[in-house]
Amino acid sequence: MYKYVLKRLLYMIPVVLGVAFLVFVILSLTPGDPGSIILGITADPEDIAALNAEFGYDQPFLIRFINYIGDIVLHFDLGTSYQSRQPVINDIIARFPNTLVLAVLSMAAASIIGISLGIISAVRQYSVLDHTCVVVAMIFASIPGFWLGLMLLLLFSLKLGWLPSYGAGSLKHFILPTITVCMSSAASLLRLTRSAMLETIRQEYIRTARAKGASQKRIIWKHALRNAMLPVVTTLGTSFGASLGGAIIAETVFAMPGMGTLITTAIRQKDIPVVMGATLFLAVLFSLIILIVDILYAFIDPRIKAKYQNGGKSRE
Amino acid sequence: MKRLTALLAAAAMAVSLVGSALTVSASEGKTDLVIAMEVDIDTLHPSDYSTAVEHNILNQIYDTLIYMNLDGNHDPEPRLAESYEISEDGLDYTFHLRDDATFHDGTPVTAEDVKFSLELYMDSAYQGSKVTGLSSVEATDDHTVVCHLDNPYSPFLLGVSQVYIASKAYYESAGDDFVNAPVGSGPYKFVSRTSGSNVILEAYEDYYRGAPSIKDVTFEVIPDQATQAIALQTGEVNFANIDSSTLAQLQANDTITIAEVQNSSFTYVSMNLEKAPFDDVRVRQAINYAINRENLVSVCYDGEAEVNSNICSKDRFGYSEDQPQYTYDPEKAEELLAEAGIETPYDLGELLVAEQYSNIAAVIQSDLAAVGLNVTIGVQEFNSYIGNLTSGNYGITVLEMTLDGDSQMLEMAYGTEYIGTANNARYSDEEMDALFDEAQLETDQDARAEIFNEILTKAQEEAIYAVICNPLTLYAYNADLNCPEFPFEGLYSVYDFSW
Repeated sequence: MYKYVLKRLLYMIPVVLGVAFLVFVILSLTPGDPGSIILGITADPEDIAALNAEFGYDQPFLIRFINYIGDIVLHFDLGTSYQSRQPVINDIIARFPNTLVLAVLSMAAASIIGISLGIISAVRQYSVLDHTCVVVAMIFASIPGFWLGLMLLLLFSLKLGWLPSYGAGSLKHFILPTITVCMSSAASLLRLTRSAMLETIRQEYIRTARAKGASQKRIIWKHALRNAMLPVVTTLGTSFGASLGGAIIAETVFAMPGMGTLITTAIRQKDIPVVMGATLFLAVLFSLIILIVDILYAFIDPRIKAKYQNGGKSRE
Repeated sequence: MKRLTALLAAAAMAVSLVGSALTVSASEGKTDLVIAMEVDIDTLHPSDYSTAVEHNILNQIYDTLIYMNLDGNHDPEPRLAESYEISEDGLDYTFHLRDDATFHDGTPVTAEDVKFSLELYMDSAYQGSKVTGLSSVEATDDHTVVCHLDNPYSPFLLGVSQVYIASKAYYESAGDDFVNAPVGSGPYKFVSRTSGSNVILEAYEDYYRGAPSIKDVTFEVIPDQATQAIALQTGEVNFANIDSSTLAQLQANDTITIAEVQNSSFTYVSMNLEKAPFDDVRVRQAINYAINRENLVSVCYDGEAEVNSNICSKDRFGYSEDQPQYTYDPEKAEELLAEAGIETPYDLGELLVAEQYSNIAAVIQSDLAAVGLNVTIGVQEFNSYIGNLTSGNYGITVLEMTLDGDSQMLEMAYGTEYIGTANNARYSDEEMDALFDEAQLETDQDARAEIFNEILTKAQEEAIYAVICNPLTLYAYNADLNCPEFPFEGLYSVYDFSW
């Protein structure tokens, strides 16, 4: 098992390097240079050239890329922001906790709502509850996040005055953003859980379990759920990654200082070190989450666990 | 039982009365202020800042030698310098500092600090233009600073009035804190900053003009306009610079006051004079007459812009009613086109714009089509658009521009040496260049106004650009907050505000 984990960790190196290269290429292909973006259209071209030289932006693309990766590998240095002249890592440290809390809260809320309602819908297929869940899920899956966020603000901040409209100081600040982010993933989890459960319930071994006289509760929890959870867990992993990024909208609407707003602002200002640092940070995190999901499989599905162990043995 | 109910009802009423009394008097005795900012700041360096938001925060922390309304039409007021003299030849500016001003760390503001700050600006790629013309600074004693210029440069005073005075000793000892925890001599002390979130300031009680009435000021980052509008209405935010998208909603609320502030920015059609048919003055005049400016302002700015075909804002130094204005006159446009030998319908090619100006482009397109000039709209991402604009790789375009500071800055739109930066028409005329040179040497205000009158009249007659309007800066704030009239450009001082 640990060999498998180690192997997967090593695989992350080329993945992260690939991401770094891709983002670097895209940023270099976008028009404009940091000097003229910072100093503006009325600036003296000499000042602009001097500023670009100071950033090393006058160097050819490949040299800049190699220098950048070199600094990370040799000095653990993510670079300095063009705009603020401060180490990029400071911005990430200041903002990542907000994004993480928002992502974790939304995923937790989405899983609780989505999976439990999905199971109930499947077990009571074609009931009123089932129809309601499916329709409501359809609605929430198609509502754009920014609109939902604004409507929540109008109701809970402006009309009722219960919750703050912006910021990230306390848990209260996270309630509306969490609802905004979790609703669409809760809706898709509900639909996925429902269909996975429905499929599993129709399997032969469930009929066998029924035939041998197992209770409905035992059939659902012991026999059906575990198998139905496999596709759901896969989605959970990727949608956790998506909610890290999807938080961008909630962060903008609720003026929450997080990774999303950090990256979008930096892209507009062509602040390459910030975009690179933040993207790499998220890329590493995302790879780790996918790895954790893969390990989780082993606990849910003994067949996969056996495969990992065989894989380990055959190489010894 | 009945009595108990009555008693309870009375108690409930009393509580609600107290409650409402509290809300009514909520702003009385209030000493804090929350200001929304649309983007986070990157720096609080006194000379190496670049955004309007940074400028507004620095303006509370740092003080200047003198204060001048940026319209150039008002006399300077003393600040750190209680008086100043300009030598006969216009080459030496002497500032006499007051002796009771201190930095937030308690040390006095001396001539050495002023010299250091001016030199900081001279070396700055960001704000170096504020001290254009300055060749050296001399601190003759603790309270006297002399600025030496190589050539007389009349915009110098307005420029130097915007230089923030920083502490030399703090610069030498603080390292990175010079930027991250700035120490100025203005009415507010820096307390803390949270990246992406807020900047907190508090009153500097020993400020030489007296302690400010508002004690705590927080600048909060709220990027979304709709969220800003909600926060203003809930009272979580007391002051914000808004755009016209949320104006109607906020105007309808009586707890919010809206201020419209004049500034130097202008919306204009720029034509590449190096390309036909824009090299013909009659075609440019025709385009000027073809645009319905009133309609454009109501459609694209919700009416929140002042119609003006002159590049110089109406409140700004140099503007005069005598300078010609272009008004909407499609018949005259058609006549001029016929005179120029243009057979309509005529294809003018591409109207190149950056994304954010595409709605303005659509209005211009229909105005031009009405006089028989057809354009197709080409939309580009802002940075690549600016690249094409400054390199002359376009025929006709529309955009917003700000050439703030002394009216001398308008030279950037017309001067030969600014082709490739802000002279987007690529206009080059010896007489125009000479007039701007003259304006920068002339120290007599009346004579200088006359030179600007010549410049702006010439610019209008030759229809070098088709200027449309000056968009207004909009401030929305709590109706209980007293704000004096905002100066031209809207750079405010919280020191002047009170509850």
